[in-house]
Amino acid sequence: MQIEIENIQGKTPVTVMALTGELDASNFESVIAKARQLYTAGTRHILLDLSALQFMSSAGLVALHSMVLIMQGKEPHDTSSGWNAFHAMEADSESGSQPYVKIVNPQPKVASTLQKTGMDQFFPVFSERGAALASY
Amino acid sequence: MINGPVLETIATLDDIAKIRQFLRERATLLELDPSKIYDLLLAVTELVTNTLLYGYPEKTGWIEITIRRENNQLITRIRDRAIPFDPTLAPSPDTSRPLNQRPLGGMGIHLVRQMVDTFGYQRLPQGGNEVTLGIEIKEEAIQRHQEG
Repeated sequence: MQIEIENIQGKTPVTVMALTGELDASNFESVIAKARQLYTAGTRHILLDLSALQFMSSAGLVALHSMVLIMQGKEPHDTSSGWNAFHAMEADSESGSQPYVKIVNPQPKVASTLQKTGMDQFFPVFSERGAALASY
Repeated sequence: MINGPVLETIATLDDIAKIRQFLRERATLLELDPSKIYDLLLAVTELVTNTLLYGYPEKTGWIEITIRRENNQLITRIRDRAIPFDPTLAPSPDTSRPLNQRPLGGMGIHLVRQMVDTFGYQRLPQGGNEVTLGIEIKEEAIQRHQEG
């Protein structure tokens, strides 16, 4: 899986993180590590471009949720904590969407995974990049 | 090692992508609907990930995957030599109950249940687990198969 970064200056600076390939338990921690790097460099808002992400397992959901916590200056749940991390995600999804990490153009099956797990309530999802960037 | 419909490997998490590729190729050959191929890949990814992370102490171990057509279903069988675990008994998240009243587990198995039509388990007599997944094949594909 590849991660490409683009910084967009605007009313609210946004870093676009584009994922290409497949996201699963073998590489989800690299997404979290990248989010940490971005936070250290000053990023506080991320737009995840998933247009080229062809597969995402539940480990990917943990990475996405961890990114939200990182952007808030919080420590993500221990990725080895298994169900505790998922419970935290479920609790957050019930609280509605957050403004830190948004998603643009997920492929249909990836979008379906977000819906089936309720994560589409937590991550604003856009079909068009311009609208996504304007929403911050 | 791949032998027709069987993949056998000492797997690590890095091998799960290769398992998906094997399944993708075999499922295509067996004419599973393309929209359901992703569902199969996701279900197997979740199950094999759980086995490697929680069933084998070193997060690596023997995995055997067999995929075949059986009447109107594509049957995928996953075998391992890991500690006993029946994923079919894992409760689904009960979103109607307050979070602190929900039993533990598990988003991965919640997804598995939504991706497949049948989901079975048995403990193997020689030790290890066997999970069987069934996904229905479309009628047109069955007819083409029968017509040869």
